[in-house]
Amino acid sequence: MEYHNPKIPEHINTSREHPLKEFSILLIATLALVVIVSLLLGVGGSWFAGKIPFSAENKVASFYDITEFTDSASHPELTAYLQSLADKISVAQKLPKEMRITAHYMDSDTVNAFATLGGNLFIYRGLLEKIDNENMLVTLLAHEIGHVKHRHPIKSLGHGVAVSIAMIALTGSGSTNIMGNAGILTVLKFSRDMEKEADQEAMNTLHALYGHLGGGADLFAMFKKMRQKMKMDESPALLSTHPLDQDRIDSFKTMASEKGWKSKGKMTPLPGFFKDSLQSKRQ
Amino acid sequence: MFDLLFSLFVTTILVSLGYFFGRRAEIKHFNNLVKREATMNKLPAMASRIPPGDGEYDQYLVSGSVVIANDYFKSFVAGLRNIFGGKVRTYETLLDRARREAVLRMKEKAQALGAEAVFNVKYEASNISGQYNKRLPVIEVHAYGTALKKQF
Repeated sequence: MEYHNPKIPEHINTSREHPLKEFSILLIATLALVVIVSLLLGVGGSWFAGKIPFSAENKVASFYDITEFTDSASHPELTAYLQSLADKISVAQKLPKEMRITAHYMDSDTVNAFATLGGNLFIYRGLLEKIDNENMLVTLLAHEIGHVKHRHPIKSLGHGVAVSIAMIALTGSGSTNIMGNAGILTVLKFSRDMEKEADQEAMNTLHALYGHLGGGADLFAMFKKMRQKMKMDESPALLSTHPLDQDRIDSFKTMASEKGWKSKGKMTPLPGFFKDSLQSKRQ
Repeated sequence: MFDLLFSLFVTTILVSLGYFFGRRAEIKHFNNLVKREATMNKLPAMASRIPPGDGEYDQYLVSGSVVIANDYFKSFVAGLRNIFGGKVRTYETLLDRARREAVLRMKEKAQALGAEAVFNVKYEASNISGQYNKRLPVIEVHAYGTALKKQF
């Protein structure tokens, strides 16, 4: 008997295919999967979160002692004024009874205001200092209250949680902090459609309270000026979640002409104590 | 956001390094295997357990083993493959190289003994990283058999 080890042809146990081909196909497929799954789950999570009754959202929000972080207590007059405007706007926007808005004053240079879970509104001194009249302030508050009315904070949270869970399931790791940055006291990310929806609410409110849209466009013109001063380049409209400033300014005119509303009118001045309150307790 | 970009950057670097060095080493190794096998085929290795009955043989245990490190590119592709299923081609080449290298080393030992053939050849493959397979993706393949040397 003879024993031989003949030469065996190559590529029986291995593939002739270039490894980069498999790599690119798999990478593209995975990315597509991630995008599709996160889109679907994001939309689903946001939809489900929108079904959570506001009372439940309130309960979650009440776990946190928000007053601890705010400067409302040291500025009672200003806070009461902001609250009274918020209440007026709530009536104008026909918010459901359980949807109570609470205005909080933040004594900080940050030029910002945001709405978060439980109908909590945070307004920073930095932004209030740039407000010239009540109409502008109402535009700002009505915009934020519009977010609450359309349940944007909880929808944004639901979106974020669903996407995080999907990513953890898919990658097997990822941030264990599912809530991520979507905590109660932080700024939630709203989509461009949400911002537009809130802008619409602001316009309706302005018309309901003052009979004209004056001051609305001024608020966004102020933002635009500020951004230009800081030389912050506006990212292209597709990438940014906020509508471009100029688009927002124009949207007030468009809305006025569409509905036959007045785009300008008599401005209501801010109360006398407003500017003084902002000065107080500043060091 | 910065964390994400940073880990993306690190992953890209590791995958590219793994691809360039891993691929280079693999091609070199395969060329080397083909060359050595062509000469070593004179000394057959058989899976048969029954030695040839045409004479008296001295018997020696011979073994060859090799440890090959995986690279980041292979793991990355295999990780993606895990999602969709199918042949993990990047690991097929890795194991093929390890098996062939182990047999060649075993044959080289048999040749040094002056053996004519190796019988009853068996393979064992193991992941030497144990439970820490994420940190140290290294495989060992061990081939062993009975070398037969004709008695004079």
